[in-house]
Amino acid sequence: MSMGKDTLTGLKVHHAMRRQLITLQPDDTIDCCIQYLTKYKINALLIGRSGELPAGVVSKTDIMSAWYSGLPLSTQIEMIMNAPPLFCDQDDTLDSALNTMKTNNIYRLYALNSESSLACGVIAYPDIVGLLYHYCSRCSQGLFNKSRQDSEEKIKRYKVLEFMTKNVESCKEEDSLESVIETLAASRFGAVLIADDKHYPKGVISRTDIILCWRHGLDLATSAREIMSEPVALCHQEAPLESAIKSMILKDLHRLFVVPKKNHPVSGIVSLTDAARLRSGSCHACISSRIRVDEN
Amino acid sequence: MKTKARDIMDSNFKTVNSEDPLSYALEIFKDSKSEGRTIFGIMVTDRHGSLQGMISMYDILLFVLPKHVKIWGNISDIEIGGVIDQSVGKLNNLLVGDIMTPKVISITPDTHLMMILDIMIKKHVRRLPVVSNEQVVGIVYISDLFNYLIERV
Repeated sequence: MSMGKDTLTGLKVHHAMRRQLITLQPDDTIDCCIQYLTKYKINALLIGRSGELPAGVVSKTDIMSAWYSGLPLSTQIEMIMNAPPLFCDQDDTLDSALNTMKTNNIYRLYALNSESSLACGVIAYPDIVGLLYHYCSRCSQGLFNKSRQDSEEKIKRYKVLEFMTKNVESCKEEDSLESVIETLAASRFGAVLIADDKHYPKGVISRTDIILCWRHGLDLATSAREIMSEPVALCHQEAPLESAIKSMILKDLHRLFVVPKKNHPVSGIVSLTDAARLRSGSCHACISSRIRVDEN
Repeated sequence: MKTKARDIMDSNFKTVNSEDPLSYALEIFKDSKSEGRTIFGIMVTDRHGSLQGMISMYDILLFVLPKHVKIWGNISDIEIGGVIDQSVGKLNNLLVGDIMTPKVISITPDTHLMMILDIMIKKHVRRLPVVSNEQVVGIVYISDLFNYLIERV
């Protein structure tokens, strides 16, 4: 539903984009690509020649698929890149950038400098969440604003429950990495839950974990138990969305698994991407005046 | 008069292998402090002694730095201890090669001091591996170069 102006109105891509762009040469290897993705903690990087418009993008998903397909680490990244990258102008509105990402079902857009026609930044959903969080934290009614005077009851805050994805796919501790990759490939989330038969959380395996396993020489038959991270980062489904966003930002996580109560099975997953798709702050206080809720 | 890299390079250096756990490199950083000369970067070699890259404090700090740290200024109640422990804990799963800087500039023992100075200033590097016959034979630190030059003032 559209309710006039939203929190992002008037903001441009350059307000939220990250300016650090990592670009590799087409003949660099997958091994080198994994190293840069790890070093700079990014999910994708550009492929191209210096001084030219980048020709493609390689993401962690592409690398994961390459391992699954049996390609060697020495494969040139040109062989697995997606081309061409999708660009927007750094002066485009954030709203139009979000629409492009949604229409093309992609998670990041590269920004061009209209004068030089060179790539100058990248914008992804978490960057937009960061910007929204910035506004929430300064809002007089923000959950974490210490100067907030209003009583809690007056403000209906979004809860994690309203934005989480239910029926989370999971793998078992004894499943192979091959099986974990299949589950991850079918999921829009960047990590898979490792759980027991009753869906109690045991660990998490992310796409980063998977590509590092490949680089470290592990076999696709390796069990999930051997590489999973624990404990699982959890949040309560009744918790305010703002609190979950804060937790993800501080812990450098892209998603949290959701439980209805302490020591209960996992009931859902909420990600920064979900929070960004809301295109709002994190409480209903904004809705009447300036929020447009994207219902997808 | 000293004019070449070989004249001022430190031949007493430590290296790590790109397949070593990062924790091993961290130990070397810690030990260097107690040994009297804090090092800020360690050369990374393969099993044959060929230079593969450099692992520096900067590489490690870059990895520890949270992605969205610029938002932190808006968060008033950060439990900083837990956050730092979580960031630093991620280092345990890494190998040196995962976060090293792979494409490093190297010099030979015969590289002239002024050329070394030029590289260090233009490329913003503080240490340069010295390589001869594809083997690492030393390292030149900007501090050694600086000290040598100011002694002549």
